[in-house]
Amino acid sequence: MRRNILLIIARHFWETVFKTKSIYLLIAILGLLLIYSVYSGMKYYDQNHFRADHQEMARQSWENNPDKHPHRMAHFGTFAFRTKHPLSQFDFGIESFTGNAVFLEAHKQNTINFSEASFSTGLLRFGELSMAIILQTILPLIIFFVGYGAVVSDRENGTLKLLLTQGAKWKEILFGRSIGLTGIAFLLCLPFLIVTLLLLIGDHHSSGDVWVRFGLISMAYLLFALVLSFLTIFVSTGSKSSKNALVKLLGLWLLMTVLLPRSSQALGSYFYPTPSKIEFRSKIEAEVIQYGDSHNPNDPHYQSLRDSVLEVHQVDDVTKLPFNYGGFVMSIGEEVSAKIYNKHHNQLLNQYRDQNQLNRWLAIFNPYLAIKNLSMALCGTGFESYVDFQQQAEIYRYQLAQKMNRLQIERISPTRVSGSEGKVHVVSREEWKSFPDFEHGYLSIGTSLNNEMISSFSIILWTFLAIGLISRQSKRAKAI
Amino acid sequence: MLEAVDLSKSYGSHEALKNLNLEVTAGEVYCLLGQNGAGKTTTINLFLGLADPTGGKALINGKEVKMGADTNQLIAYIPEVVQLYGNMDGIENLNFFSRLSGYTHSKEDLVRLLEKAGLKKEDHDKKLFSYSKGMRQKVGIAIALSKDAKAIFMDEPTSGLDPKATDEFTSICKELVAEDKCIFMATHDIFNAVNVGTRIGIMNEGKLVHTTESKSISANELQQLYLKTI
Repeated sequence: MRRNILLIIARHFWETVFKTKSIYLLIAILGLLLIYSVYSGMKYYDQNHFRADHQEMARQSWENNPDKHPHRMAHFGTFAFRTKHPLSQFDFGIESFTGNAVFLEAHKQNTINFSEASFSTGLLRFGELSMAIILQTILPLIIFFVGYGAVVSDRENGTLKLLLTQGAKWKEILFGRSIGLTGIAFLLCLPFLIVTLLLLIGDHHSSGDVWVRFGLISMAYLLFALVLSFLTIFVSTGSKSSKNALVKLLGLWLLMTVLLPRSSQALGSYFYPTPSKIEFRSKIEAEVIQYGDSHNPNDPHYQSLRDSVLEVHQVDDVTKLPFNYGGFVMSIGEEVSAKIYNKHHNQLLNQYRDQNQLNRWLAIFNPYLAIKNLSMALCGTGFESYVDFQQQAEIYRYQLAQKMNRLQIERISPTRVSGSEGKVHVVSREEWKSFPDFEHGYLSIGTSLNNEMISSFSIILWTFLAIGLISRQSKRAKAI
Repeated sequence: MLEAVDLSKSYGSHEALKNLNLEVTAGEVYCLLGQNGAGKTTTINLFLGLADPTGGKALINGKEVKMGADTNQLIAYIPEVVQLYGNMDGIENLNFFSRLSGYTHSKEDLVRLLEKAGLKKEDHDKKLFSYSKGMRQKVGIAIALSKDAKAIFMDEPTSGLDPKATDEFTSICKELVAEDKCIFMATHDIFNAVNVGTRIGIMNEGKLVHTTESKSISANELQQLYLKTI
């Protein structure tokens, strides 16, 4: 393959495309979509301020509580807000549907609320447009539209024979056109990546980790564009007419972006069914009740616990214990209910993970699924990021509840176990301040990549496959 | 210059070309007549190296033609409909195709080549989609000239050309032959074959059934011979 001929063909393809008016129309449409998606991304990310304000308000509300009984504070609770990753401006992922705030209180694992979807009309399902969605779904269409006739049109009008008799080799024609189309695809990707870069530069939260993520995302999308460009040339070369090539590519688009993703979801739910929210809650509740109710003084389990504690301390009443027995029971109850919840929750998460794993394996056959999964993971807006927030919130909730229980055990007089505490049964408000505020941390880049190993592999595999297909086709292609 | 030795080509069970033997020398115009499907275009394709023969061989300057072989440097091809790239002008098209064959010409050279092919200077900067068939063909001839091809293959070059354009085309062919180039032309145009050709072959069902010197036959006689042969 001669490099100069390759470049001549690539450059020529580039020039012919930019000499048609339709490409400018496509660029204009893409430009409008870019503006809209950047605006949406910025507005979306701006919610971080709103969340930070509310986190601050929740904190102030917590700290401003007067001297109180710690168990009342445990039920007063606080909120945990999920902080959006700076790269979520680029890819919203599943965040709009998962919620971003959770009320944390003793004994109860509340669900994460206030998703965008719950505050929007059903149109959100169709109207959400991030930069990532444009690159994942609209860019392939544009690449297909620009490149479908790249080789087949020349064959249809006899120019291909002319190219070959002028001395160009099949390999040079196919790789030249592929490089030319890839160049155009890169050019179309570039504004999205540059705008994202500028948004990150303008964001003071962007750390070294963010730049590495951005680098990886850019590389992944450029490889995705390369794969699509090479596939387009492959289809164009193997088609009998331009119309045929366009129909094949549109079919491929539907398969990639609609049929396979929907099928993978349906298959995932079929093979790994998950309980409904009510079922999930009922199971936990039933198991907790079976174990024992820490709020019920006549509960047999806790009665036997009380008896054993009294025996150890050789007293006949809980009021004679050297610590607050109520706090002790709450602590045990919290530990038990958290264990049961975590067990069920982990089972549920594993079911979801199995569903996602099926989706990931299907990404081997579908570069769209691969880039979608990888992009969400690197932007901190994927399923694992959501789960990570849930886990961080639960750990915080558990620590808060147990801290309040410890305060009750150590600081509240054991002489009264219930009823109004009065001034005697309170601890200083300074204790509320000493408990650290909730701070949401992002999943590490290593964990994100590890979770999307298959998707990363798929992108690399498709890159080699697309190049290999063109190489193989150049040996078998015929001009007549 | 051009030689076919028992040249044959089959597509599955269909024999498109059967044991063709012919020789065309430099400074000669060989016109191949025949109905559609007679094997004319198959013969050209085999000489162009766009397909491999199933039997025999095609030689250009003594070198056997193989798919993707170097013999392309010696030849040029002008298809029946020269489409090229409609959204580029004559100069741009010529520049692209000549660079493909390894020649880098200056703008002046490109202008000179187009003028030599008969394309008026004022048309050089116009987009090709505004060109007539004859004008496109001239760009095709300029492409052949740009690589200094020794043999030029033409497939139905006069089909769809008006009489003036056909006459211009004939003149250009004669100029090329005068420069010792060899032209191999597949055509349905009996009158043009007699006018421009040195020798004329008639093909039928993949076989070369008749060969004659053009100076020894009139257009009417050739037409009679053609109708009798097919």
